[in-house]
Amino acid sequence: MEEGPRERILAATYACVARWGLSKTTIEDAAREAGLSRATVYRYFPGGREELIDAVVSWQYLQFFGRLYEEVQGAASLEELLERGLAFAGRSLLEHEVFQKVVETEPEILLPKLTVETNKTVGLIAAFLVPYLYQHGVAPGVDVQGAADVLARMILSLMAAPGRWDLQDPVQVASLVRTELLAGIVGDPTPG
Amino acid sequence: MTPTRLELVMGGAGQGGEPVSPQRIRIVDGALRCLARQGISKTTLDDVAREASCSRATVYRVFPGGKDGVLAAVADTEVARLFSAVAVKMGEADDLEDVLVAGMTEAATRISGHEALTYLLEFEPGVILPRLAFGHMDDLLASSSRFIAPFLARWLDPAQATRIAEWASRLVLSYLACPADDVDLTSSDQVRSLVRVFILPAIGAIQAEGSSGAVVLDTTTTRHQHQPTATRGITS
Repeated sequence: MEEGPRERILAATYACVARWGLSKTTIEDAAREAGLSRATVYRYFPGGREELIDAVVSWQYLQFFGRLYEEVQGAASLEELLERGLAFAGRSLLEHEVFQKVVETEPEILLPKLTVETNKTVGLIAAFLVPYLYQHGVAPGVDVQGAADVLARMILSLMAAPGRWDLQDPVQVASLVRTELLAGIVGDPTPG
Repeated sequence: MTPTRLELVMGGAGQGGEPVSPQRIRIVDGALRCLARQGISKTTLDDVAREASCSRATVYRVFPGGKDGVLAAVADTEVARLFSAVAVKMGEADDLEDVLVAGMTEAATRISGHEALTYLLEFEPGVILPRLAFGHMDDLLASSSRFIAPFLARWLDPAQATRIAEWASRLVLSYLACPADDVDLTSSDQVRSLVRVFILPAIGAIQAEGSSGAVVLDTTTTRHQHQPTATRGITS
């Protein structure tokens, strides 16, 4: 895939963050890693280090949701979509070494940025779910937009903190999807 | 089961079993007013002493841990106050829908109206969020759902009660962490419609599932509790 300079800088910055963390990564590091000059990095990120670090968090965050989107492509039903999405989200956060390292060592830097991203994501996930809800049909009196919003929130909540759920266990996830997540929205769910 | 730190506090143990003295409460309340006005990093023990109308030496005597000790006591006290306020409201309600509505509305009203928390989330998110997110949110959900579940026990079996308590906690936390323009959980009418559409039908579905012997989750503990996020295993 064709990679523009911006993308190249972000990928290089991400590599630096993986090695040294968010607070120790500098513009110079990113430029050297990308094989570009400092001036070029500043041209794409005029706000400097702060802007670059914000951008790399956003970029990785969107990549994560991009992979999530690919993972659920072709799901035959709303139930399958949610099951596949939750299982993938649980698994890939656990396996995401850079995320795990940064959230452990620099939560004071990562979490405020992540909160900003998450707040934008509620709307995106909700918009993605709306056609599936129309296709599936909702219970009488249920507002599709409102239901999509609540579903999006609960998906993000489960991703951030699975609580007592094991998202790697297909039996648990199937139950979660058909009860807490969907019972009220689609009404009278038929098992299986 | 291992109790979470919050539950040790709720159990009345306090910090190291210390009795809760009026002086301790005065210092905690003084610190709360400082936090609401100027946040954590700008608040000194002198500020706290002045606000509590006592000497700096007294603050140190009551909290040998200094500022960290005071802050820990503030967090513990505020969680305990939140849980007791929610308990009072849930205790007054007498059907399942009302219990959920009362508890969720009270929690949302108390948390969103909390001046110190509001200040910290706005101006010092880097200090406060690491105490609330990911692994800490698992702990928070575990404490909250174990605390709420007994109030649902008149209508639900323990496993169902814990699931529903966790779900209600998630809903409240989500709207507090990420407010929506058109949903206000401090309004009991709005909470009631959420409960009717998104929680009560789930209860029916869980009960139907239970009778067919489907999923039984561990109700005594959170799977991941006290495991560092990075080492959570995949067990299935």
